[in-house]
Amino acid sequence: MEFTALFLAVTIVMVAAWWGTRTLALALFAVTFLACIATYLHHASDALKLSF
Amino acid sequence: MTRSLALALNALGLYAIALVLLVAFAAQLLLHELPCPLCLLQRIQFAMLAVGPILNVRFGLRPSHYAVSLLTAVAGAAFAARQILLHVMPGDPGYGSALLGYHYYTWAFIGFAVAVAAIAVMLLFDSQFRDDGKPQPVGTLAGTAVGLVIALTALNVISTLLECGFAACPDNPVAYELLKRLS
Repeated sequence: MEFTALFLAVTIVMVAAWWGTRTLALALFAVTFLACIATYLHHASDALKLSF
Repeated sequence: MTRSLALALNALGLYAIALVLLVAFAAQLLLHELPCPLCLLQRIQFAMLAVGPILNVRFGLRPSHYAVSLLTAVAGAAFAARQILLHVMPGDPGYGSALLGYHYYTWAFIGFAVAVAAIAVMLLFDSQFRDDGKPQPVGTLAGTAVGLVIALTALNVISTLLECGFAACPDNPVAYELLKRLS
């Protein structure tokens, strides 16, 4: 679900960059970028099932 | 480098991103290779690479617009490197099939590294940032590229919703969860 939301957020950033203001696009980009990092860190903290 | 040449290169960059998103879709739909969560995150970073060139085409060339894509490329490379390291042990077959000898996440790492280098080269040319005060009309080449990238990213919203449904995406997806639930 979080990845659907992230793709939707990126689409909104692109639409804002093309039809909206520059400030709005950069602000939305910052929020989406931080959300990506947070999602990565959430998954990176999962326990790894190692085979050795 | 003139402004018009830099804008044309930005438009070509958007076409390159669209090509990457198209190849990812082709692997998903034709080879039935569903992307894992980390793969989706890398695909999201490829889409986010387009924000810088879109801003350059729409509002004019600025170093901050290149920085937007540079940040995204570094993050994407880090995500891809993480997935490479997850499968680095000898005997590990890796995730998914290989394309020309490399798995998709290895190609993704190469793609993000190329993006970092390409943005650095573009930033070398200060002359593109000299604003002559005249608004640059958006050409058909650039306008089509922007539309294509936005449409492909929007299609990814639908495909990810079909794959993951309204729950967390499975680590090793084998079916479209939402379609399975509806059928």
